[in-house]
Amino acid sequence: MNTFKINHRTSSGYDVLDLYGELDAHTASQLEDSLKLLIDSQKSNIIVNCKDLDYIASAGLGVFMAYIEDVRSSGGDIKLTNMNDKVYNVFDLLGFPTLYDILDDESDAINKFLSEA
Amino acid sequence: MSQSASNDDLQTRFELKTVLETSRMLIESRKSDFVLNNLLLIVMGKLLTTKAAILLHNPGRHKNYTIQKARGITRFSEGDSLRFELDPNQKKHPHFYYRDYSDSIPPLIDNMENTLFFPLRTSNHHLGFLFIDKKATGEPYTERELEFVESLCIISSVAIANSQLFDELKATNRKLDRRIHELNTLFDLSKEFNLLADRNKITQIFKFALLGQLFVRTFFLIYKTPEELSLLVSSGLTTIPNKIEIDSIFEECPVDVLPIEEDCLERHPSLKKNGIAHLIGISIQNEKVAVIGVGERVNGEPFTETDFNFLKSLCNLAIVSIQKTYFIEDRIDKERMEEELSIAKSIQQGLLPNPVPKIPGIDLAAQTISSHAVGGDYFDVATAPDNNTIFAIADVTGKGVPAALLMANLQSMLHVLLPVDITLAEATERINNIIFRNTPSDKFITFFWGKYIHKQSIFRYVNAGHNPPLLLRKDTDLFEELGDGGLLLGALESMTPYEQTDINLNAGDLLVCYTDGVNEAMESIRREEYGEERLMECIRLNREKTSREILEAIVKDVRNFTDGSLQDDLTLLIIKADG
Repeated sequence: MNTFKINHRTSSGYDVLDLYGELDAHTASQLEDSLKLLIDSQKSNIIVNCKDLDYIASAGLGVFMAYIEDVRSSGGDIKLTNMNDKVYNVFDLLGFPTLYDILDDESDAINKFLSEA
Repeated sequence: MSQSASNDDLQTRFELKTVLETSRMLIESRKSDFVLNNLLLIVMGKLLTTKAAILLHNPGRHKNYTIQKARGITRFSEGDSLRFELDPNQKKHPHFYYRDYSDSIPPLIDNMENTLFFPLRTSNHHLGFLFIDKKATGEPYTERELEFVESLCIISSVAIANSQLFDELKATNRKLDRRIHELNTLFDLSKEFNLLADRNKITQIFKFALLGQLFVRTFFLIYKTPEELSLLVSSGLTTIPNKIEIDSIFEECPVDVLPIEEDCLERHPSLKKNGIAHLIGISIQNEKVAVIGVGERVNGEPFTETDFNFLKSLCNLAIVSIQKTYFIEDRIDKERMEEELSIAKSIQQGLLPNPVPKIPGIDLAAQTISSHAVGGDYFDVATAPDNNTIFAIADVTGKGVPAALLMANLQSMLHVLLPVDITLAEATERINNIIFRNTPSDKFITFFWGKYIHKQSIFRYVNAGHNPPLLLRKDTDLFEELGDGGLLLGALESMTPYEQTDINLNAGDLLVCYTDGVNEAMESIRREEYGEERLMECIRLNREKTSREILEAIVKDVRNFTDGSLQDDLTLLIIKADG
């Protein structure tokens, strides 16, 4: 049984997606749906909090690849925060830190958004 | 003297301490940058020189030395490379002056005359050189100073070799991690694909895995469906390739990895606009079934052989699963069709009289054998309002479902007209006109029907273009053919009325009505038809038997003739007046 879950909330006016459990080929479409929903409602400053994300597969990373341009072309960004080492290692292995802001804490992401605004 | 001796002592102790501290620091360090910086700065400080550099050897590259660290050097910057060759033995000397090798080493600074090179090496590897200018004061280096630098070089070399090894290990580990991750991805997907029959989901998962694993933003998949080439899934495309481009991209791409050439980009503007850098053709069982296009990696890192191998495996996995979805759809379609056909077959069978009714004074047998699930042959036996019996036989052009539809249409007309008080000829005319108006011009029906008037033993018939039924009267071997009537049904609107003919049907007379499935049954090797002659012969031979037995004898004879196969629908209606 896969226990992946996404929770959406706002923090200081930014949209935050909290990811829980394992993001793999099977659950990637859930993340896609959540991101699409935000993008379709013109929300483009998105923080993805990975505090409770236990595992990420390539398909999960692919969802970020597929939507980063849409978000950035509307002047926003996707910032990733609070990853555990195992999850970060996967992002790092595949070269994601060159394309994405990966920050220690959600508050860092908010500050970064504020400084970019 | 003692003053100078203690000074010497102090100097020695200081140098020893430096060497010791440096060695401790260096050996603990895993960063070559730190090691090199320390070596350079200690030497410059200790020997009072303002220009120094570290050149690291790059085996296998054309420019075989890189200036890794440089201070006070203006001709080159850190990271620049140059080429020179030295005698291997020379690299083993603890140090040498540039002036002795000025013809083989390019100058690093303006005045190279008294500059020095210290080889950096481990017991079996040449690592590079430490280069230092002459002393800032212009004094020559003392023997002791040179020895000090040599010691430092030995210690640093070990540290450099260690850190290089460490870096290499780290890189290897990272590569391994990546391979493991790739394998996990493939494993993950194969598991997932096996569970999925939804093509859309498969292509979406494939897309995300590819984007994530290869770190690309642009990609497309052209897949050869059973009908056409189609762009099954894509991501990040700014221009969608049109049908012509899709076809020619698929055509041109070999079953391998193809780095895209300039002229290919010129011919396919969409590849250029979307920044597609590689095309990969995928084949399954020697047939090219898909072509994948991918853009460059987002971080600019080039794709390696392993990346392409991963890509091919990933594609193969996805393509097989996509193929599976088409097969499943095909099978579902086929099953539904078969089910519908079998329903149609039972409906059609319901349109024929079953069982064939008993008619007083007549021994009757009739049967249709369809070559398809449903067919265009028809026969009927019905009672008219005047209690006389109607017999009918018909053959619709063509086979299968279209013929069956028309046959059903004819059946309903016949039954609607049955209670209407009109002659057989008039009824035939009405049927012809309706069929002519309602069907395409290439659809006809050959039709023969008759009314048996019991009291007078008269058989009144109309033949609308059907094979003339064969009448074999009692006490004769010659057949009469019942051919009178008119045009076949559905060809032309009735211009002249159909003709109806009365004959007597006496005890012992035998009437055999048949469709062309009988006389045109084909023997496959000689391409010979069964023909009327054989049919008549068979009837003569069996004339004394019951209608049922005669029917079975004819079917058996036809099957024997064709080796069992029937290409067309075959119908027989046999009427024998009781004697």
